[in-house]
Amino acid sequence: MASTRQLKSRIRSVSNTKQITRAMQMVAASKMRRAQESTKASAPYAAAGNDLLMRLAAHGATNDHPLFVRRTIRKRLIIFVAADKGLAGAYNANLFKRYLELLKRDEERGVTNVTLTIGRKASQFATRLKGVEVIGSYDDLPDFPAGVAFKTILSTVIEMYSSKQVDAVTMVYTNFVSSMTQLARSERLLPAGTTLAPDFTEVAPDSPEQDVKYEPSVEEVLDGVVSRMIGARVFQALLDARASEHSMRMIAMKNATDNAGDLVDDLKLAMNKARQGAITQEISEISSGVEAMAQ
Amino acid sequence: MDFKLITLAGVKVDQPIYSATIPAVDGEISIFPGHEPLVTMAKAGVIGVTYEKDGDEVDYFAISGGVVEVSYDSIQILVDEADHSDDIIEAETKAALERAIKMRDETDDQVEREKAHRLIDRHVVRLKVADLQRRKRR
Repeated sequence: MASTRQLKSRIRSVSNTKQITRAMQMVAASKMRRAQESTKASAPYAAAGNDLLMRLAAHGATNDHPLFVRRTIRKRLIIFVAADKGLAGAYNANLFKRYLELLKRDEERGVTNVTLTIGRKASQFATRLKGVEVIGSYDDLPDFPAGVAFKTILSTVIEMYSSKQVDAVTMVYTNFVSSMTQLARSERLLPAGTTLAPDFTEVAPDSPEQDVKYEPSVEEVLDGVVSRMIGARVFQALLDARASEHSMRMIAMKNATDNAGDLVDDLKLAMNKARQGAITQEISEISSGVEAMAQ
Repeated sequence: MDFKLITLAGVKVDQPIYSATIPAVDGEISIFPGHEPLVTMAKAGVIGVTYEKDGDEVDYFAISGGVVEVSYDSIQILVDEADHSDDIIEAETKAALERAIKMRDETDDQVEREKAHRLIDRHVVRLKVADLQRRKRR
């Protein structure tokens, strides 16, 4: 059995770890609340955009829009969204798994691909893989990624698709279902047919919509709306990813704190036992000494 | 007339106004009550809104392009980014613009240059809004 002193120092070190993980849990919890709030922020934008898209679709304009047209997929762009940091439970591992699955599926079908990574862990993982071409990496995006980096990502994606460098764009990210459930998934972003999925049949042809003027032209307006809707989609994915990351980190840190607590309890028990054992032994030594003297 | 500015970060402005001047791609358009329904694209620029007929009060917003939807009694604009003139600090914006110009001139990286261009466009518009706001105060 370990000595009392060894046990004491282990208890101290585990308690320190516990304090750290508890602090990380608190930080993650407050970040998660904010991130969770902001996952709802882009909803009005998406709703208004969808509304417009639906009306444009009623003009038949979406049918042959380049971002909607399906082509034979020869090359795919993967937007791979993971965290900048670890210590978030299975968050990154789940995404890696999903990403590898996608790579494997593409390989089986003879589709080549290039990857654009968001988050340091994603770029570290992807660049280490054989046969993966990483065309860009964005690290340390802010929690609310509305800035220039986001627009650059978006314009790169749309540019690559419309210039036919790639025939499909797929996002690998974590969908935030609730603070308990987060799903790593891959989702097709382009062609936009299924992702934007407005119900094209809803507007009757004789509705008053026909009076609306589109300037400079229906096509140009559609261009603007579609690229913005795709932007909203990417943006939502980034927000979801961030909220998921913070939730998973919070839970991972909570588990770590709990485990550290259990460990401290066990160690304390062991220490008390060791101490009691030492005392018992000392007493028996003394009493046997006394007895020996009495004889 | 109902005026709505919607950004990715949520509804930025939702208030009744009298008229609005919008930087559309084909040139600036002013929209008064009863304007015919219209959907158009806005480029980066300044939106000015007034609250009363012949009123003096004008509010300015810097926007970075978007989709404008006008109906008889409402204007709804989906913008990438919008700032009210009160939120813009001129000195800071000026400094940021200079930084962005420097970045554009010094970098060799295509991505960085693209980024710099976007920043420059954004700050130029913001400066314009700040300038308009200052004149308004006089």
